Amino acid sequence: MILSFLLPLFALLAIDLSLGGSVGAGADSLPRFANALLTAYTLGSLVLLGNLFFYADSRQRPLAPLFGMLAAAGMGLLTSVFLLENTDMLMENNGSIRAQIMYNIVHMLVSAGSILLAFGLALGLTFATITAQKARKTSFEEE
Amino acid sequence: MDAMAQAALWFWLPVALIPLGIWIFLSSKESLQRRMGQAMALLGLTGVVLSPWTVPESPSIAAGHLVGFLIGPAALLLAGLYLVAFSGNVAVGKLPKSDRRLGVMAFLIGFVWFTGMHWWNLTPSLDGEVNRYWLVFWPTFLLLLTCLCSASALSLRVIGDRRTKESNVLWFVSGFVFSLIVLAMTIDGSAVDAASFRYHLWLAGADLLGTAVGFAIAVLVFGGVIMLHERSLEEPPSVHPPTPKEFEHVAAIVSANIGGEESE
Repeated sequence: MILSFLLPLFALLAIDLSLGGSVGAGADSLPRFANALLTAYTLGSLVLLGNLFFYADSRQRPLAPLFGMLAAAGMGLLTSVFLLENTDMLMENNGSIRAQIMYNIVHMLVSAGSILLAFGLALGLTFATITAQKARKTSFEEE
Repeated sequence: MDAMAQAALWFWLPVALIPLGIWIFLSSKESLQRRMGQAMALLGLTGVVLSPWTVPESPSIAAGHLVGFLIGPAALLLAGLYLVAFSGNVAVGKLPKSDRRLGVMAFLIGFVWFTGMHWWNLTPSLDGEVNRYWLVFWPTFLLLLTCLCSASALSLRVIGDRRTKESNVLWFVSGFVFSLIVLAMTIDGSAVDAASFRYHLWLAGADLLGTAVGFAIAVLVFGGVIMLHERSLEEPPSVHPPTPKEFEHVAAIVSANIGGEESE
């Protein structure tokens, strides 16, 4: 099933290479991958931090996991800032570190919207094709 | 008010209101709080869509501009699918059969609208240039949709029982979206040329991979934090086993409450 997920991707790769492309973005893909990873990790940690409030309901509201998750999200942010300040690895076409961080967040929100819409459509299409078929009759053999 | 404060007030605050409103809506049990959550999310969404007019100088408003362009076709696609799915063979919440045609129409209009945003003059443009976030959204959406439909088609065939017909429909959809990507890679759109689309397609691939890995690490860290906390908790005090007197008391209660005739 993982292969069937990756099949269109490999086919597009083959088509792009046969068109004489050098897999489009080339070296620009690395900063995008790294920025997406760090931003998804940081924002994902913050979302899961919110989730801990539900968990805390059944555990007399302990503070330790909340601080733990806050520290984990902080680590992601600090790593991003450190890498942006000390290397050019994560800088894309933005003028300053603050602009790059803002761009990363907005980019992630747009990307997440696109992912959610694609998931919604794929699930909806699967459900719609199943319910579009006639109701099945189950026959039981007599003993 | 300086530009940063204006952007914070008119763009970032509405952005923050959306997840906060959804969170309140999902976590509250009282209807007043749930309505308040809905209103907050809706207010946030309106604020984001209006941001090109409220803070025109901020570069982040390109996202608000894009949301305004996407709401129409996305709503048509999702509403169309809902109508098609629930006018079929469902056990609960069944809609009338006539809604199926309406659903198919809405879905087709939504899809044509989306494709018109690439090949016709409906491309989201800001200050005479293609909205930079449209070049993020469109390749990511197409790439993930073809991959998900392909995986879904095979899942139906492998896991499902006599689901070949449904699986074939999903293979067709996956192939159709795949051919749209190939067309965009080879034929120039109205505002985005083929080379530019190919460039952004692979950036979208890197973006999806990075997002998946980053979120997976966050989930692992979350599990690790909970595991460490649970391990650090003291063992709960154990109670003594029941005494013979307590057993007798329980047996008396049980026998007093069991009725019916004795089986032979």
